[in-house]
Amino acid sequence: MATSLTVVLPGDEILQDALPTPTGKKKTLTLGPGLRHIPPNTIATTIAGALATDNRKNAAWIEFNSGRYIPTTGDLVIATVQGSAGESFNCLLSPNTPPAALPHLAFEGATRKTRPQFPPNTLVYARIVSAGKDSAPELTCVEPSTGKGDGLGQVKGGMGFKISLGMARRMLAGSKGGITLPEMLGQKVGFEITVGRNGILHVDGGSVKATLAIGRALQEIDEQALGEKAQKKLAEGVLKSL
Amino acid sequence: MAPEAILSHLHRADGSATYTHNGYCVIGAVNGPIEVQRRDEMPEEATVEVNVRPAVGVGSPKERHLETLLHNTLRSIILTRSIPRTLVQITLQVRSLPEEEISTGVNTTLTLLPHILHTALLALLSASIPLSTVLTSTLIAIPSAPNARPATPLVSPTAPELLRAKPIRSVHVFAFAGDGRMLLNESDGVFSFEEWDEAAEAAEEVCCKEEGGVGLGEGVDVDGKEGTNLEIWLREVVKRKVELEQRWKSAR
Repeated sequence: MATSLTVVLPGDEILQDALPTPTGKKKTLTLGPGLRHIPPNTIATTIAGALATDNRKNAAWIEFNSGRYIPTTGDLVIATVQGSAGESFNCLLSPNTPPAALPHLAFEGATRKTRPQFPPNTLVYARIVSAGKDSAPELTCVEPSTGKGDGLGQVKGGMGFKISLGMARRMLAGSKGGITLPEMLGQKVGFEITVGRNGILHVDGGSVKATLAIGRALQEIDEQALGEKAQKKLAEGVLKSL
Repeated sequence: MAPEAILSHLHRADGSATYTHNGYCVIGAVNGPIEVQRRDEMPEEATVEVNVRPAVGVGSPKERHLETLLHNTLRSIILTRSIPRTLVQITLQVRSLPEEEISTGVNTTLTLLPHILHTALLALLSASIPLSTVLTSTLIAIPSAPNARPATPLVSPTAPELLRAKPIRSVHVFAFAGDGRMLLNESDGVFSFEEWDEAAEAAEEVCCKEEGGVGLGEGVDVDGKEGTNLEIWLREVVKRKVELEQRWKSAR
């Protein structure tokens, strides 16, 4: 990931030499969030942020960490069940947005006779199968190719924490995101964390004390942009308190 | 003096900004894209809702007028077609006005307008609402000339400056898009076309980056005294926002 900090404002044209130079097989340029194509061949930005490019994938996008979550196909999210209507659950991805549909049969091993029953305000970990500007998002809790759950489904126990969208992206990006705290803690205590791309982090530490300590620590990393050394110090503090 | 701006400081709103300049202070908050009420829903566009709240008391026709002006200007820069059937809600709370505001004798709607426009834009940027371009805006006041010689227009005058230059013959507010197109013009008072033209030129000089001039990062002195070009200022503000968001990359 090439990251030179090019700050862009909405309406800025991205010049040809700032766009990625394809090194892989893929020849068509992929535009990510924050960029739009104005025919015939102008690439303009729509939001303020930093331009990021990937030469191997021949992709360009704008890095930003503010605003509301916008559903995108393929994203893993923690949705709140609001109620059940007909063949599907109505789920909320963020407050005051149109509900997303989660079909009753989109669970591992669910049939017409054994469909899951969720009371309102249940949290489910789901993948977005379709999200367009012209339709409400649709969710699923099974991998379409295998029919297995693969960790998707109801999130039990523990507690949900709010984190920024950028933090959620970093946590899902693995080692590139630079979040080392969970691994450091994992060597000493057992816990489970679930990260939704819509800015919700679910922590189950077994006890209330552990859940809160881990959740708060991760929120602190988000707010104060802690680096690896600071995270190590924080992890030691958390372990001491448990 | 360049305006001061703080971005994304309200944690409950999707985007927010506080803007302080020449004794004016405005807080802006943006929520969106959110679910729109059925009767306001438009099939192919986003609905934009602007609420202006005055520093004292409840809203009056003056605020409704400002809301209309803002609504029309912002609708033209928000990419409403990329987020159809949603609502973008913009709330602007005027926090303080300069003491001399009432006694300047000019239209107080116009003196407030550029500040409120900037606040709305910054809050929209903070909320990452898709925009087609940015805008910059300024106030130009033309004092009445006592002895037949043409008066020099005051660019972005402070309230005490307006008071000293009294009587003011006309005031103009201009807003320009990032590419230099004029987005909004509101004028009040008695003026000739030549005067308006001169005011428009003076405003363009402050609002837009000079063509083929100095590079982005360098501070350009407009007239040697004002020292702030609004587009350069805007880039500075956004740069600070981006640096704050990306600081984890260099954190240790």
